[in-house]
Amino acid sequence: MVFINEAAAINGLADTIIKGGVSLYNAIKYIYSLAERDFYNVNIKDAFKVVLNNVTDTDCLQALGLRINESTCGEMLSDEYNHVLPLMVYSLAVRIPTLKSVKNGNDAMSDDQLYRLYTTVMNKGAENYKDMISETFLETKYLVRKGKKLPPFTADWFKTYIYTNVPELSEITNKNMFLLGFSDVLFAMFYSCLEEELKSKILEYTADMSGEHDD
Amino acid sequence: MDNIARFSVQDNNTFYKIELSKTLLHFIEFDFTYFWEQCIEAGRTARKTGRLPQQVVSNAKIVIGRAHPYIEACLSTDFSEIVTDCIIEYICHSERIGLEELWARCISPKNPYETAIFRRISEYKTNRATNRWTSIARLQEYARNKTDFIFSPDMEGTALTEHMVRARKEYFDLMLSVASNELGCPSDALPSVKLCSPATLPNAAFAVSKISKSIYRRLSEALSQAQDMASIEGISYGKIKDQIAMDIYASIRNVAPPGELDMKIVLDAIRENPPQLYLPDSFKSIIDLEFELMYQRGIFLRKCENCGRFFTVTDDNPRCDRVNSSGKTCRQQYEELRESIAMEAKASAEEELREIAAAEAAARAAAEQEELPEPISPEPVPEPEPVPEPEPPKPVQIPPEMEKRSQKLYNALYKRVGRGFDENEFREWSQYLSNMKKNLKVGEANLKQFEDFLDYSDKLLEEVKIASKNKTVHIPKEKPYSTNKKRGRRGEQDSSPGVSQVEAALASSNNAEIKPFTPKAFESLIDAVKAYENEIAGYDEEEQESRPKKPVKISAPAWEHLSREDAYGTNKKDE
Repeated sequence: MVFINEAAAINGLADTIIKGGVSLYNAIKYIYSLAERDFYNVNIKDAFKVVLNNVTDTDCLQALGLRINESTCGEMLSDEYNHVLPLMVYSLAVRIPTLKSVKNGNDAMSDDQLYRLYTTVMNKGAENYKDMISETFLETKYLVRKGKKLPPFTADWFKTYIYTNVPELSEITNKNMFLLGFSDVLFAMFYSCLEEELKSKILEYTADMSGEHDD
Repeated sequence: MDNIARFSVQDNNTFYKIELSKTLLHFIEFDFTYFWEQCIEAGRTARKTGRLPQQVVSNAKIVIGRAHPYIEACLSTDFSEIVTDCIIEYICHSERIGLEELWARCISPKNPYETAIFRRISEYKTNRATNRWTSIARLQEYARNKTDFIFSPDMEGTALTEHMVRARKEYFDLMLSVASNELGCPSDALPSVKLCSPATLPNAAFAVSKISKSIYRRLSEALSQAQDMASIEGISYGKIKDQIAMDIYASIRNVAPPGELDMKIVLDAIRENPPQLYLPDSFKSIIDLEFELMYQRGIFLRKCENCGRFFTVTDDNPRCDRVNSSGKTCRQQYEELRESIAMEAKASAEEELREIAAAEAAARAAAEQEELPEPISPEPVPEPEPVPEPEPPKPVQIPPEMEKRSQKLYNALYKRVGRGFDENEFREWSQYLSNMKKNLKVGEANLKQFEDFLDYSDKLLEEVKIASKNKTVHIPKEKPYSTNKKRGRRGEQDSSPGVSQVEAALASSNNAEIKPFTPKAFESLIDAVKAYENEIAGYDEEEQESRPKKPVKISAPAWEHLSREDAYGTNKKDE
């Protein structure tokens, strides 16, 4: 795919993926905090709507009165849980080859461009901590090239990680059960929305270029 | 200072006051149009620029703060987003959309204005706020309805007693309690108000900061050894409040009492603060508190008979001291009207007197002229006795109780027009009442007449009530008045010689009773014949009496003999 400024486009797309990962990471914390005091005040449907409409900015959830602090989600403030963030970004990064399906006319991103995007994301802090995520960039690339169906974006790795590494969250409590319940739905829906956001971003970068050509 | 109550609100260290009845009347009559316009203007500007114009927002908040001291007290807390609330209400109303739709529109806010709207609606959705603008509008309606319910005059227009006011107030409040109970609303969810002193306020340490600082200096040592009581938010303290208080008290139990100098400082500082403070938890609670205190301190409202608005009762006058469109107060207007009517009546009475005097003088002059050609009368004409000049009528002041009584009667009868009382009948009655009052003012009627009329009116009212109950129309049995015949000033004309005989005859003929024909009854035929003979005889006697008693003299005509010449004259030629 031809961008007006390929480096800037790849950087922008990498930022979007990282922001998406951070956003999902924060969204989990915000929604988890909901179970502390606002279980009957905040409608989780509203929280989902806000998160999915702002896939790169979850601070909007503060409008619902949700706060991330020691009293509301102290269980998620441990060092072990903090490793979820690079894992989250990594889980999105390995799916970069799916962007090959985004086309501007007949033009699509090349393998080289996709790999550069993946490398940029990885360089910005994505990490497969303790190899929690079984998927890899190459596997996804292979499946895309072969036109095979990709496995759904699920919270399985996330649940496995907290069961094995974050004891505070693996206890059977009301809040923790709530976390396991909503994370499955949130991961799937979030990825779908982030994919749309990335597609529109790619088209935006190419549209900018065509706009400049028109001038 | 009896009509003032002081209050404080959460998160505000200032004390505010409400002037009983005045604050309520001011609020129920407050016009929010200007505030509304300011908010709309702010919204339009924000739509263009992406942010709310702070100057307009500040102005609008100042305007609405004037509506009630509670709003003013909460402008920086609960009512801080009142302009945004008003804009949200305006958008929903003008674009006919719901809050959910507006929230969804602003879910990915692009500028501070959209963020403000999104945040505010999110607060509504999560029960952290309500639309304060809508709330104020609804509370104004609530206060109006409650005022109307408690202080409106009854059907008969009688003045409300203290007990009646209390009964109505409690009935109104009880209606709300019953409804909330039946609807399953928890009792602690309803608004309430606490009575505190400045030292027992939740934020007393900051509200009475001067003394608090000196206390802190004395307690700091004792408190440093005490247990930290800060705990996690969200715990319900309902059942362990005593325990907490005693634990805190334990830490200061051994502190020695302050010295005289300290107490002097405290004394000076405390003088500035009111001894009692109310702590309302909502706007409704302070409105209810005002009604309660008004009743306790004997401050009542009444509906003005002129403008129909409520005012604080200070005397028996049923009109208010508000300046109306005429530039005068209703009370002044009424007094001036009364005076002008009295003046007019006096002027017309004087004119009538002058006319009568002129007519008498003219009649006297005519009589003198007729007497002139007569020969000198043998008897000297006695000088007419000097007629004492009629004393100018003195205006009679209607006593307030009679005025009140007449007003009550008026109201009571007016309400029954069409329901047992004919409209024309009422019009006639009220015209008479009006004339009677006018006559009293110009001194052409007296209080006795007025009282008689009121007594009659009382009877009339009773009859009308009965007729109303029976769903019939009252038909007056006796009516000491009519629209043509007016008592007093004009009524006297009727009884004066000036009234025409024809009118008098008509009046007498109208008043004549027409009796049905009843044949005589006789025990026997003989009695009937005798009665007939007597009647005939009586008739003959009457006839004879009517005949001239002087006999007519009949005599032969006295013919004169005329000769031919006398009869026809002599014609010599013919001869």
